[in-house]
Amino acid sequence: MKIVVPVKQVAALDDEFELLDDGSDVDPDFVERDLNEWDAFSLEAALQLRESTGDGEVIVITIGDDEAEEALLGCLARGADRAVRIWDESLAGADPLAIARVLSAAVGRENADLVMCGVQSSDAVNGATGIALAGYLEMPHVAVIKQLDYDPASSTATVKRELEGGLVEVLRIRTPALLTIQTGINEPRYANLRAIKQAREKPLDVTTPDELGVDSGAIAAAAGSRRRELKHPERGEGAEMIDGSPAEVAARIVEIVRERMSG
Amino acid sequence: MARDPKYDVLFEPIQLGPKTLKNRFYQVPHCIGAGSEKPGMQAYHRGMKAEGGWGACCTEYCSIHPESDDTSRVSARIWDEGDVRNLAAMCDRLHEFGALAGIELWYGGPHAPCMESRATPRGPSQIASDFELNIFPRYMDQDDIDTVQQMYVDAAVRAREAGFDIIYVYGAHAYLPFQFLSPFYNRRTDKYGGSFENRARFWRESLYKVREAVGDDCAIASRFAVDHLLGPISIQVGEDGARFVEYCDDLVDLWDFTVGDIAEWGQNAGPSRFFEENHEKPYTGQLKAGNHTNKAVVGVGRITNPDTMVAIINSGQFDIIGAARPSISDPFLPQKIEEGRFDDIRECIGCNQCISRWEIGGPPMVCTQNATAGEEYRRGWHPEKFHPAANRDKGVLVVGAGPAGMECAMVLGKREMSAVHLVEGAREMGGSVNWISQMGHSDGKENLFRGSARGLGEWKRIVNYRQIQLDKLSNAEVHLGSRLSAEDVFNYGAEIVVVATGCHFATDGLNAATHEPIEGADATLDWQLTPDEVVGETKRVGKRVLILENEAYFMGVSVAQKLAGEGHEVTFVTQAAEIANYMDYTLEAPMLHRDLDRLGVDIHTYTMLEKIEPGVCHAYDVWNPAHKTQFEVDTVVLCTARISDDELYRELKADPDRLQQEGIEGLYIIGDAAAPRMIVDSIFDGHRLAREIDSPHPEMPLPFIRERRLWGDSTNDDYRAQLLNTVDVG
Repeated sequence: MKIVVPVKQVAALDDEFELLDDGSDVDPDFVERDLNEWDAFSLEAALQLRESTGDGEVIVITIGDDEAEEALLGCLARGADRAVRIWDESLAGADPLAIARVLSAAVGRENADLVMCGVQSSDAVNGATGIALAGYLEMPHVAVIKQLDYDPASSTATVKRELEGGLVEVLRIRTPALLTIQTGINEPRYANLRAIKQAREKPLDVTTPDELGVDSGAIAAAAGSRRRELKHPERGEGAEMIDGSPAEVAARIVEIVRERMSG
Repeated sequence: MARDPKYDVLFEPIQLGPKTLKNRFYQVPHCIGAGSEKPGMQAYHRGMKAEGGWGACCTEYCSIHPESDDTSRVSARIWDEGDVRNLAAMCDRLHEFGALAGIELWYGGPHAPCMESRATPRGPSQIASDFELNIFPRYMDQDDIDTVQQMYVDAAVRAREAGFDIIYVYGAHAYLPFQFLSPFYNRRTDKYGGSFENRARFWRESLYKVREAVGDDCAIASRFAVDHLLGPISIQVGEDGARFVEYCDDLVDLWDFTVGDIAEWGQNAGPSRFFEENHEKPYTGQLKAGNHTNKAVVGVGRITNPDTMVAIINSGQFDIIGAARPSISDPFLPQKIEEGRFDDIRECIGCNQCISRWEIGGPPMVCTQNATAGEEYRRGWHPEKFHPAANRDKGVLVVGAGPAGMECAMVLGKREMSAVHLVEGAREMGGSVNWISQMGHSDGKENLFRGSARGLGEWKRIVNYRQIQLDKLSNAEVHLGSRLSAEDVFNYGAEIVVVATGCHFATDGLNAATHEPIEGADATLDWQLTPDEVVGETKRVGKRVLILENEAYFMGVSVAQKLAGEGHEVTFVTQAAEIANYMDYTLEAPMLHRDLDRLGVDIHTYTMLEKIEPGVCHAYDVWNPAHKTQFEVDTVVLCTARISDDELYRELKADPDRLQQEGIEGLYIIGDAAAPRMIVDSIFDGHRLAREIDSPHPEMPLPFIRERRLWGDSTNDDYRAQLLNTVDVG
């Protein structure tokens, strides 16, 4: 079976960071890039599925500049069979709908049995790309999956979702389908040094939206939003910083609680 | 990153008589095992702190005359021109970095046994030392007093010649000036005994004479135990303590305050097991706060937290942050605060391993957190600089993330190996530290002499520091919950493999006393436990517990504290004379004895088990095996031998063809996996291998510079040129 895993190289912030002068983004000097945490789980789910069915192919796809290749190499090292990177300067700052539109062209040509996305990305936290992609692909989909059982004979997946109050919803879905995977569904493997070295030998295609048949007009038409500004929250009023030894701090807290209780 | 203005106060200069201290970081006198006879170690250890931003660094206690000879413990000495020359190396090194050099002039009285000089120490009264074994001083008449005071003056003049900026008349830890001051030692009836002024006279006169001799050129300091902690029979801070500070305030430029004495100096160098940060504040904090002095005050208390430091100065507790142990653990503490690199601070864990080696008498100082401490000169190791390894193109696999593995991986990462993978079978980093750091508690009741049985929680700093550092290294990866087989290692793709898989406790009672298992010992049974099982609470423990202790360090007694604190009836059996001999060296023993006594632990020394049966242990006296005892107990804890977990290493090593075929060029074993040992030594082992990973035979330590006198060699001018590995230190 063929499984496509769209992944994202996210920005991880240092403890302290600065924004660009125009407020459009975080200063890249304060950012480290890493594979999105959720995508480690979706990749692992795909790899396990490939291993349990005994054959098949796992393809990782990302949208990003050449720095994003590190994330793809990491996925290849863990066991993905090949990778695709899509980039064009026009994609800088693209919103989830535009990203999904471009991805849909790349995923669509793969004729995948399953598309497995992470629930969300840790930096933008939209939780939208996967479901939007299902929309463009006109695929059935289930979001936020905590458990996955695939039955090759019937080409169906039985999935579990966690709902409020600890309720578990069980669904059965026929493939091809798109699933978004929650963290904790499995234990992502790591790559040993040999696999890391060998990953560089695996196919990694670099392409553009144009080559995929998505022109800039189509991307613009798909986009639903544009970031106006990124800023620090305004400092709240009324916070009292308590200095002193632990005993002094504790005494002051008791005092404050008493004041409020009596008020 | 620029300094947070909050910490500006720590970087304000302060005047000490004729000298200016550039900031508020001050390495108080502390021993390192160098003295005047290892000038390279002395200069480069203190110099490393000066490089790291400390405003002043002092020698250890420095003997003024052969009559004050502490052999085999290592003091500095300034007896002659040769000592001047050797200690000048330290002064020069400190001055290169703009730091002041301090010297702690010391006359020990009966606390100095004079085993090398064979001299007779003098003292205020003929009372045997409460620290040494049966050492009596010669009673000092007026001539003796004049003679000893002249020794201080002569030593001070030599110290000035060596280049020292701060000269102490050292009276803390119950050495000679304090012996005059305290009625516990001083039973005189002349003008040097009796009233406060009479008892203070010797110290005041000594300070006056030293000040007259060198006070225009050097800052005069005195280290004073403001409270002897013996109650009304000696100096108490609210009485003669404050009175003495006021009485001699005109003669000093700097007060260095401590508490206690040398016989129980763990009250001053408090181990974290019993004392928290800034624990001396209730005593040493009273003098400046109570307006008893107008001079600069430095004090200690294993202060590692920059916010505590700021609070100490802003609250008027001290003017200057003193440190011994925190400066050993992190010589670059001031610079890291200056640069806002708080998570790079390597905090002292308060294990007192540094102190233990002085107490043993002879070995160089060591540090659990900082494996480079004491190695700056002889091995050329720098705590913050790591030159890229010549073989940095290699990938390294370190198996096991305990103390040795973490340290090794961290240093290899800093040496820019192309990739370092630290792979650990457990779910968290730290190995044995994770459960050991949960020990040392009893019932949490704070009714010990001072402090409380707060436990070894601060030892977890070993893990925290390394975890943070590894996290910052882009070439290092840590993988947890992954237990590698030999096949996994063969296939890993690493050119260098380091095995750091730790050790386990023997389950059959194998021990150092008999070199045999004990009949009936079997910790696979549900009523016999190894210490880690006690901490992990994996087995039910009965009402009556017998602990067989065979390690002579913290393991058995920590189990006793925990179980007795939980209400079990604990019988403690050891073949040794002491329940935890090494804890005498770490200064943890006195408080430990108080806790075990309070908890009612039944202690049997010189006792060994010959047979363990359900419900009863059969014991014998080691000096008379026919003398038998039986203990009726429900549970037995076997704190006996530890055994290396070296199967992985052995399996890999047994297949050289496969190693070669898989491209594994180097296979090494470190830490407890090589041989069970103390944490300080495991960390050193991991560090040493990583520092020398590009040497011809990394498994064999490179030779280090030995500071010794060479027969027939009349000069030794190239002491500095001898520094090997000058890449990091130089």
